[in-house]
Amino acid sequence: MTMQTRKRVGQIALFIVTLLVAIIFFFPIFFNLMSAFKSNAEIMKDAIAFPKTLYLDSFKYLLTETEFPRAILNSLILTAVSIAAQVLIIPMAGYAIERRNARWTRFIFVYFLAGMMIPFQAYMIPLFKELRMLGLYGSLAGPILIYVAGAVGFGCLLYTSFVKGIPREIEEAAEIDGCSRYAIFWKIVFPLLGPVTASMVVLNGLGIWNDFLMPMLVLPSGQAKTMVVEIYRYIGEFSSRWDMIFAGTAMSVVPVLIVFIALQKYFVKGIASGATKG
Amino acid sequence: MATSAVNADKSLIGTVQQKKKRKKWQSYALLFILPSFILYTLFVIVPTVGSVYLSFTSWDGISENVRYIGFANFVEIWNSPRVHNALKNTMIMTISLVVLENIAAIAMAMMVDKVRWFRNLFRSVFYFPTLLSGIVMGFVWAMILNYNFGVFNQILESVGLGSWIVDWLGNPKYAMLSIILSTVWKGAGYYMIIYLAGLQGIPQELNEAASIDGAGGWQQFRHITFPLLAGSMTVCMVLSMISALKIFDQIAVMTDGGPGFETETLTYIIYKVGFGELRQGFGTALAMVLFLIILIITVFQVKVLQKREVQL
Repeated sequence: MTMQTRKRVGQIALFIVTLLVAIIFFFPIFFNLMSAFKSNAEIMKDAIAFPKTLYLDSFKYLLTETEFPRAILNSLILTAVSIAAQVLIIPMAGYAIERRNARWTRFIFVYFLAGMMIPFQAYMIPLFKELRMLGLYGSLAGPILIYVAGAVGFGCLLYTSFVKGIPREIEEAAEIDGCSRYAIFWKIVFPLLGPVTASMVVLNGLGIWNDFLMPMLVLPSGQAKTMVVEIYRYIGEFSSRWDMIFAGTAMSVVPVLIVFIALQKYFVKGIASGATKG
Repeated sequence: MATSAVNADKSLIGTVQQKKKRKKWQSYALLFILPSFILYTLFVIVPTVGSVYLSFTSWDGISENVRYIGFANFVEIWNSPRVHNALKNTMIMTISLVVLENIAAIAMAMMVDKVRWFRNLFRSVFYFPTLLSGIVMGFVWAMILNYNFGVFNQILESVGLGSWIVDWLGNPKYAMLSIILSTVWKGAGYYMIIYLAGLQGIPQELNEAASIDGAGGWQQFRHITFPLLAGSMTVCMVLSMISALKIFDQIAVMTDGGPGFETETLTYIIYKVGFGELRQGFGTALAMVLFLIILIITVFQVKVLQKREVQL
């Protein structure tokens, strides 16, 4: 064999192996989406077969007879408001910590970073109690505040390291022109931080959308929670109605799939920058 | 004489102005940091301190009186077979996940780095499962592995491996394995992206030079790629370990800690004891133990792994 053909054979072999692995990786998602369009009897009879008809009753049932629509709305509100609040306050803190380099800001920075080491399970029980004391138990405000607080450490770490890369001269020029600190930050610095903000939005947004333990604990029972918590509830409640659960999980997978396809490069960039800075 | 007086005057004005400016700056910095500071203190630090306190009590989570019992919870943790079992499970799960996820991630990163066709599509397919919630993916796997109607057993049957059919989640021997492998499926894509970034940072000339010197594929991997991936590896090992120690959602959906206590980990037992059995004092004591374990292992791991990193 010549070098050329050997390379070619190697490429084809590699392609086939990669394709096989990719099929294994895609199968569970494909199986989930496919099963969502089958009736319960069809699933029980032959789980692997394609749906014979486009069975939509389980979607209809979930959307009209259960708390699912409310749960979708809750998930959307929780994610959107938490992310907006994070983007509003965390970059400011990161900027001030980097630019005003004093002993007390360095101390605050370390204080914020310490939080990254604390797992949620380590403080969830008192947190639950604290929300009750503050009268926040049962409203969406509780989880929102918790999400923002939980993102401070990593967010500050990301933002301070990116602010370092922005030349101070730009800000000084604006200051001479009579700009206030707020204006300098929001009009000049913040737009320059766009890439970091994009990765934070994508990564934290996903984390909040998918979170389970916290919303389950702090949103009261008997009331619609988030999509993920609702699906978990259905697994217990509809334990013999697989069609229902498949429809619910499919509805939570599809939005993620759409957002992923649209914003793919931010996901990848977010991980890469998050990993190296973390 | 006169000019130097003027100069001194000027510089005096200068410092006064600077001081004024600095003062203004300080108040801005304070205002910029304050919202984050208040929220973080209120919803991370205060409850953590509360946890430290509660771990010395026998609080049930409901009643008004919180009774201080000293180190009794920690003594019980030390002596409890159930906690030891959970600790053992946590260790098995963490070690297997760190090893398997990183091997899979490096292999996948090399595949998508080298493959010539549909490279981006493959990358997306490998990466996508990491975007799903643990609950959703745990459920889908629970359905696939179901003993009676699950697809996996059906596939085994149809390819003539009917004798391999077992109750993957209900059998104590296989429950842990099922959770570990499905978590590798879910998690490896994330680390793949980090390794891919690392691979792309390795100059092509190194491999070319080695190949001219007669080094084969494995030798190139062993002596060039692997050492130069050490930086990515530090990050991936630490991240995969922390997430393995905190694994929760999959267990909640796939086995609920069972069969028996076969898949009960430290994070799961904290939840079960605190909210299921209403022993929140004991639960927070366990949480403190988890926190300490994470802290110690992370510091240790970063120290050890950073030693073997090679700088380009």
